[in-house]
Amino acid sequence: MKKTEFYDLLMDTLEIESVDAVDESTDLTDLEEYDSLAVLSLIAMIDEHFSKRIPGTDFQKITTVQSLMDMIGAGSFES
Amino acid sequence: MNAVIQKIGVYLPETVLTNDALAREFEDWNSEKVEKRAGIRERHVAGENETALDLAEKACRDVLRDEDPESVDFVILCTQSPEYYLPTGACILQDRLGLSVRTGALDISLGCSGFVYGLALAKSFMASDTADRVLLVTSDVMTRHLHPRDRANRTIFGDGAAATLVGRSDREGILNFSLGTDGSGFRNLIVPNGGMRHRYDPDAPDIADGFGGTRTDNHLYMNGPEIFNFTIDAVPKTVADVLEKNEMTLEDVDYVIFHQANKYMVEYLRKKIGIPHEKFYLNMLYTGNTVSATIPIGLNDVMKQGIVKPGDTVLVSGFGVGYSWGATIIKI
Repeated sequence: MKKTEFYDLLMDTLEIESVDAVDESTDLTDLEEYDSLAVLSLIAMIDEHFSKRIPGTDFQKITTVQSLMDMIGAGSFES
Repeated sequence: MNAVIQKIGVYLPETVLTNDALAREFEDWNSEKVEKRAGIRERHVAGENETALDLAEKACRDVLRDEDPESVDFVILCTQSPEYYLPTGACILQDRLGLSVRTGALDISLGCSGFVYGLALAKSFMASDTADRVLLVTSDVMTRHLHPRDRANRTIFGDGAAATLVGRSDREGILNFSLGTDGSGFRNLIVPNGGMRHRYDPDAPDIADGFGGTRTDNHLYMNGPEIFNFTIDAVPKTVADVLEKNEMTLEDVDYVIFHQANKYMVEYLRKKIGIPHEKFYLNMLYTGNTVSATIPIGLNDVMKQGIVKPGDTVLVSGFGVGYSWGATIIKI
């Protein structure tokens, strides 16, 4: 998936309205939309679009969008 | 010999906790957002002196209103908020309901899969000529296990009880089961303290959940992401398995009721499995997640509303704490 597509997908998945756009440097944990239910939406999105399962405890390590992409795997993204 | 679901009684405690009330308690807690995503507007909360057994008794009185109590010859109580370590809650329930002393009684300790397991036991009792009419009671006061500042779980869980009469019949009513267990996940949904392994600790320190909530080891801990991972894996498999065991396909099923965990999770499972919207139960708006009671509450709801009619087949599946899961197909 193209990184820009992924940013749009994140905006949709997390229903982000507090900022106009996200990129790899956006810290998800700073967003008011990022709560425990948002994490469930990320799990569903990663399962649906990447067919991957991220261990639950790893979600606590997520900060920036880049850290999330690293967790999904660099091979899943193209610039 | 066949077993059928004859009747369901429900009891929800009087006190209602609304999203607006939670929003007043917790800063940055958005009522509308919670309703939209979790699918919950209100949940019932047991009174200070009201236990799961009290709720169970009321649900039983509801289902037994026009029934001869002598006709019940087995009581199964499924709860994870027991009255005592011992004795067994179902024994006390037999006395409170004035059931015959010839009634068998036992408790099962399961959460969200409990109703399906209870049906499996009830059916087996009939197949073995042990019982003719089983009162299957699923009751929990999950809110009692929650830390007052645990806003995520206080949002999701509600208290409630259901009593289901399962009886012998000439026609098929409860078909074959798919059951499963993976105890390796037991730490992901747990009340760590208060049992024999770790005793209740009055000085247990606060633990932050990372999303503005707090708990201690005396309270319920739920690793939401791990639980979701588990359900994404287990539920589609158990649905496929129960269909295979009954030589059916999803097209042969008239309606599907999953344990009502939260709207987001249940709706994702629906899409992933490919169950049509119109065949799928999704209603926790006024009850929240009532653990082992969600499936019979849902069944009662769709039977009363005429959404399912006599002769219809309903696939039910429960999944959660343990991990434990199960599914069966019911002919109404």
